[in-house]
Amino acid sequence: MAEESKYWKSLHRLYSQGAGGDAKADEFLPGVPDEFKSDSLSGMSRKQFLALLAASAAFTTAGCRSYRDKGEIVPYTKKPEEVTPGVPNYYASTCTGCSQSCGILIKTREGRPVKVDGNPDHPINRGKICAKGQASILNLYDPSRLRRPQYGGSQIQVELSWDKADAEIVKQLSDAAANGKEIALITHGIHSPTTKNTLEDFKKTYHTAKLYSYELFNDENRRRAWEACYGTREFPAIDWKKAKYILAIEADILGTEGMVLEQIREYADNRDILKTAEFSRLYCIESTMSLTGANADYRLRLRADAYLEFALALKNELEPGMTDGAVGHIAEFAVKYSLSADVLERLVHDLKIHKGASLVYAGDLLPEEVHAAVNEVNELLGARVLYKNQPAEEIVRLTPASEIENLTARMKAGKVGVVIHFDSNPAYHFPKSLEYEKALHAVPFSIGLTEAENETSAHCTISLPVNHDFESWGDFKIRTGILSLQQPVIEPLYDSRQKESILLVWAGGRYSEHIYHEYLKNRWKTEVYPAAKTKIDFQTFWYSSLHDGAIEFAEPVQMLPAFGRQAVKPVPSEIDAYTIVLTESYYIGDGRFAGNGWLQELPHPISKIVWDNYAAVSTRTARELGLQNNDLITIGLAGASAMMPVFVQPGQADGTISIALGYGRTNAGPVGSNAGFDAKLYPQALLSGTRVFSGAKISKISGSYELASTQEHHALDDEFLRDIQFKRNIIREGTLEEYSRNPNFLREGEKELTNIAKEFEYSGVKWAMSIDLNKCVGCNACVAGCNVENNIPVVGKEQAAKGREMQWIRIDRYYSGTDEAPLLSHQPMLCQHCDNAPCENVCPVSATNHSPDGLNQMVYNRCVGTKYCSNNCPYKVRRFNFFNWRDNFANGFYEQESAVLAENPEVTVRSRGVMEKCTFCVQRIMEARQYAAEQGRELHGSDVKTACQEACPATAIIFGDMHDPNSEVSKMRTHGLGYHVLEETNVRPNITYIAKLRNISA
Amino acid sequence: MTTIDYTQEPAITIGVVTSAEIDAAISAPLDRFPSRRWWIAFGIALMILSMGLASVTAILFKGLGLMGFNQPVAWAFDITNFVFWVGIGHAGTLISAILFLMRQRWRNAIARFAEAMTIFAVICAGMFVSVAHLGRVWLAGYLLPYPNQHGLWINFISPLVWDVFAVSTYFTVSLVFWYLGLVPDFATLRDRTRNKHKKLAYSILSLGWRFSNRHWSHYERMYLILAGFATPLVLSVHTIVSFDFAVSVLPGWHSTIFPPYFVAGAVFSGFAMVQNVLIGVRKFFKLEKIITLKHLENMNKVMLATGMMVGYAYAVEFFMAWYSGSQFERFVFLNRALGPYAWAYWIMVSCNVLFVQLFWFKKIRTSIPAMFAIGVLVNVGMWFERYVIIVTSLSRDFLPSSWGHFSPTIFDFGVLALGFGLFFTLVLLFVRFLPSVAIAELKGVMENAQPHYHE
Repeated sequence: MAEESKYWKSLHRLYSQGAGGDAKADEFLPGVPDEFKSDSLSGMSRKQFLALLAASAAFTTAGCRSYRDKGEIVPYTKKPEEVTPGVPNYYASTCTGCSQSCGILIKTREGRPVKVDGNPDHPINRGKICAKGQASILNLYDPSRLRRPQYGGSQIQVELSWDKADAEIVKQLSDAAANGKEIALITHGIHSPTTKNTLEDFKKTYHTAKLYSYELFNDENRRRAWEACYGTREFPAIDWKKAKYILAIEADILGTEGMVLEQIREYADNRDILKTAEFSRLYCIESTMSLTGANADYRLRLRADAYLEFALALKNELEPGMTDGAVGHIAEFAVKYSLSADVLERLVHDLKIHKGASLVYAGDLLPEEVHAAVNEVNELLGARVLYKNQPAEEIVRLTPASEIENLTARMKAGKVGVVIHFDSNPAYHFPKSLEYEKALHAVPFSIGLTEAENETSAHCTISLPVNHDFESWGDFKIRTGILSLQQPVIEPLYDSRQKESILLVWAGGRYSEHIYHEYLKNRWKTEVYPAAKTKIDFQTFWYSSLHDGAIEFAEPVQMLPAFGRQAVKPVPSEIDAYTIVLTESYYIGDGRFAGNGWLQELPHPISKIVWDNYAAVSTRTARELGLQNNDLITIGLAGASAMMPVFVQPGQADGTISIALGYGRTNAGPVGSNAGFDAKLYPQALLSGTRVFSGAKISKISGSYELASTQEHHALDDEFLRDIQFKRNIIREGTLEEYSRNPNFLREGEKELTNIAKEFEYSGVKWAMSIDLNKCVGCNACVAGCNVENNIPVVGKEQAAKGREMQWIRIDRYYSGTDEAPLLSHQPMLCQHCDNAPCENVCPVSATNHSPDGLNQMVYNRCVGTKYCSNNCPYKVRRFNFFNWRDNFANGFYEQESAVLAENPEVTVRSRGVMEKCTFCVQRIMEARQYAAEQGRELHGSDVKTACQEACPATAIIFGDMHDPNSEVSKMRTHGLGYHVLEETNVRPNITYIAKLRNISA
Repeated sequence: MTTIDYTQEPAITIGVVTSAEIDAAISAPLDRFPSRRWWIAFGIALMILSMGLASVTAILFKGLGLMGFNQPVAWAFDITNFVFWVGIGHAGTLISAILFLMRQRWRNAIARFAEAMTIFAVICAGMFVSVAHLGRVWLAGYLLPYPNQHGLWINFISPLVWDVFAVSTYFTVSLVFWYLGLVPDFATLRDRTRNKHKKLAYSILSLGWRFSNRHWSHYERMYLILAGFATPLVLSVHTIVSFDFAVSVLPGWHSTIFPPYFVAGAVFSGFAMVQNVLIGVRKFFKLEKIITLKHLENMNKVMLATGMMVGYAYAVEFFMAWYSGSQFERFVFLNRALGPYAWAYWIMVSCNVLFVQLFWFKKIRTSIPAMFAIGVLVNVGMWFERYVIIVTSLSRDFLPSSWGHFSPTIFDFGVLALGFGLFFTLVLLFVRFLPSVAIAELKGVMENAQPHYHE
């Protein structure tokens, strides 16, 4: 064996043939060959063996027929600038999901948008974005989007090219203009100055064109009142941070109304337990149980048609000399509507003595007179100092209801030649009494510019697909001095065009991808750039504006004129009849998000009902009418009637029935069609802003309708279950007074729990989270953020009703008190990442286990689905894939090609039969760890932000390293108000809740 | 005054029965073409089984979501059925092993049957955990410890892993014990049959048994050792099954009384099932002389005793819930008795504790229709006991926000049918193809089996 070798592998080998070489040669020790006998081998020759091997290989390959050809995979020959596979890019843009036009930051991976967050540089929403904005990514990838121009709606579809469509439309438009027939251009509210210019250019080309702008939820009442009181429709923004005593009248300032993100942020700033001296007090008087009412320190319920009386009584109280004879004082009012006189007295007292820091705010849905009265009250309170010198812009005034009535009449009369629906859906939005569909059929040529087929485009001659926000250019202005930009982050997925460029083409332009881009840039060059008065050149200005997404510049603003008194006469309300309040749905807006499964499945923040709207009634009204949950009723109002399921809502005002609008769409794709009920009873007044209507007729009809809820409803008067959240120390709260007397009142008399097992010694970073229940308003933005980040599937109503929703974080809602005056507590609940996690020791395959940095991990590959972990989780935050959800929901709707692009590539899409749960966004932790390693530094707790934390507009969620004594999270963990849920089980959760302090006096 | 002669064991069989008669009586069903009644029974069993199979096939293709599980009730019919069937098995081992060790030779007449039921029940139980419980059945192999290059290992502190070991050990030991007991009978059948195919089969199965003295002495030794093996299993298997619950933190599950309580419950339900099935078998195969009323009465006595143990456990659970001072525990038990599942709780209490008290009366204890009815009720009650423990505890645990109601779907009932269908199909095949009474053992306890010193 130690035969001298002819070959050598290295110089070392060649020259050291001595000892080293011998040792190698002796690798197989002598003795082994002795036992080796060639006759014990099989008789097979080498050739036979090879032949056999080849044959079996051939058979094996022949068997692998079904290998899926994934097409050619070609690497970049020239890498595009800025695109590094695996590294996300962020682009600033603007969300147009509602009229707030918030700044967003879109995360793209390899050129495809995967996540939306708030733009931190945007002066209004400052890095936060609501649930709708977060989930809007699903609208981009919605498989039901219109893919190319087509004739006809859902029944007959004939595709055509853009050139052909343009040619035909231009001919029709010119004919109409030549024949003096009107060209109606129907749009939603316009908040973009450049879009306005486009529309004007269009009108210039076709002189018979007329613009109609409507919005289902608008602030017309407020604007008209301001016009009457101050002579300007542009009411100022409010400095909510300085408002310490706030009375919200039927105004959901923490839910749907105004600049919600800004309001939540500034409200939450005044609920900081580190600065308890600055705590604000929120009063709320409302008929519908809203998020604002849920968070209010004092809440009163009042039927929705009594607010004028209330506002006037309040005015009388504050201005004793000028008593309006028809309405008495607050004390009388309290008696008349059986409200708590104590609370009202305290309210008046607070408002009076804190002049300059107190504010009354009326809801958009209330009539103009209430706003006028409230304006006067605010004048008396000296609330002027709370107004910022930033009026709300009105780019295009909404069309008055009377003109819209006129339009439909003219359409029916054949006086309208062409109707263009500029991304609007009047067939669904207009009051049914206008018979819009019928009017539309009387128009010879109609065009629907839309992202996906809707109720209107289905009846149009031609439907044209328009770009999604993320494929579009634009600018938006909602406040003087602030402009935000929108830029495309992906090429149009389909053969769609930006809606403004379509108009530009019809107005005589030549189509190119950049037509509107150039137009926008041009306007900025000629109008914005000079106004911004900057020293940099335009190109730099443009790019830096695009980069930042929003610019602030000094724009001349008029001082708010003096208040002009309006004589407001109260209308005596009919207390016997039922009043209807039409509210804005929390998550699907005016119906434009109806096709978004994530938003349909976000639980209503109060009732926790998903996929539906309902008629909310009070316990007493329910008793009067003999109603129970899930009963069906018809509501008759002004000649129209609608069927609705009933939900008995604690805290709802007696005699008032609240219904969320935006549901019951009939043509919103497989997801949104027929989800909920259309409150087909908007009287015309709706278009002028008022959404409170008296004199409704309610009758119970046979049958029932199951409302799916993610949280069981228990009667508040069930002694067995009453206040169970307090008894179990799930919710711990106190009052500000208690806290100022004794900051440790919560933990008094508590004992440290002992552990008989030896505890694991954690070293280095250990992850923990704190959730401040003082700040959390329960808006569900965190849930939406988590859905997008973690690829949470949509399960559908039927499955949600069974209790199989998949959201990793949920907002628990608990009631205490009585049905009439309930107190609400919200609590975001997610995996607590317990140190002694009970889920871990019961998993037979160790699929769920603990990481050295304190994460409770879930290994999907290993999970066999015994579900034991879920049973043993005291918080029930684990979610099981009972089906392949994407396949199970709406015939695999979200499994279609474009929808799968919405998945975050950093997070596994879980298969059927696997348990899942919150991971503390482990993918972000790993990414941060990688960056830290790359930069050769230690990982800090502050390097990581979880998706829910990023989304929370109130910054209630803080995440970080509990071992770092200076981190925010460790300060919260040791705070006197910090507690763990179910502490006594000794599972040692890593989520600390900060007990809520109510600013109420005993 | 009569004197009792303790040197003579009382005969178990009734009437003068010769060895040949025993051979004939027991092997008769095996020799003739099955009767119409058998075919009808088999047809029904097979129909129920196929309903179950259709359900689990659908579940396998679509997902567990076809059943009624949800969050928070992530176990329901799957584990209820599993525990129920594992429990049924326990009577068999108790009869065949523990009573054997205690020299309760009356058990010889029913041991074979009871033991067969053990094996079938464990097969049913295993079936549930695999087809209707695991989210990813196709990865069930992960539950076994096997060497792999990832260094992955099962979690030895998980009660589900203990379950895997406990149940598979139980099945293996029971099967071997049962088969061993069958060997002399196979030899008898081999010698009796004239059918060529049967002869071949019995010859193989009888392992060359020739009734030699040497064979018998080995056999007796081995049987004793295996009985010794099986005895602790009676206690351990259900103890470990109860650990699935007791080890958790869930109020209503987290309880130290579970092991004895579960074992008593298992024996209770097992005896009820054996009694029920034997009543049918002795009637159809005319084995009244062999499986006597005495046997049935003895089983009823065991049921009375274990039923009271179970009742005691119910009471102690309530006491402990109060005595623990834990509000979660207190709530769970009040909720069981008064909450949304109170109906299930009261079915359980009445079937398991109240009705069985009728066995104090000899008349009822020895009346076949009465005991059959009570046996059925006990089985219903014991099924509901597991349902109540699992579902009520899960549906309302710590956080009221996550409470949820479980309601079964048609697939849950399909899975329930699978258990009964499979069990009765196997039982019917068993009585057709194998001697349902141990021929050799029975001969040891018949009249004239003992030495006759006095005559």
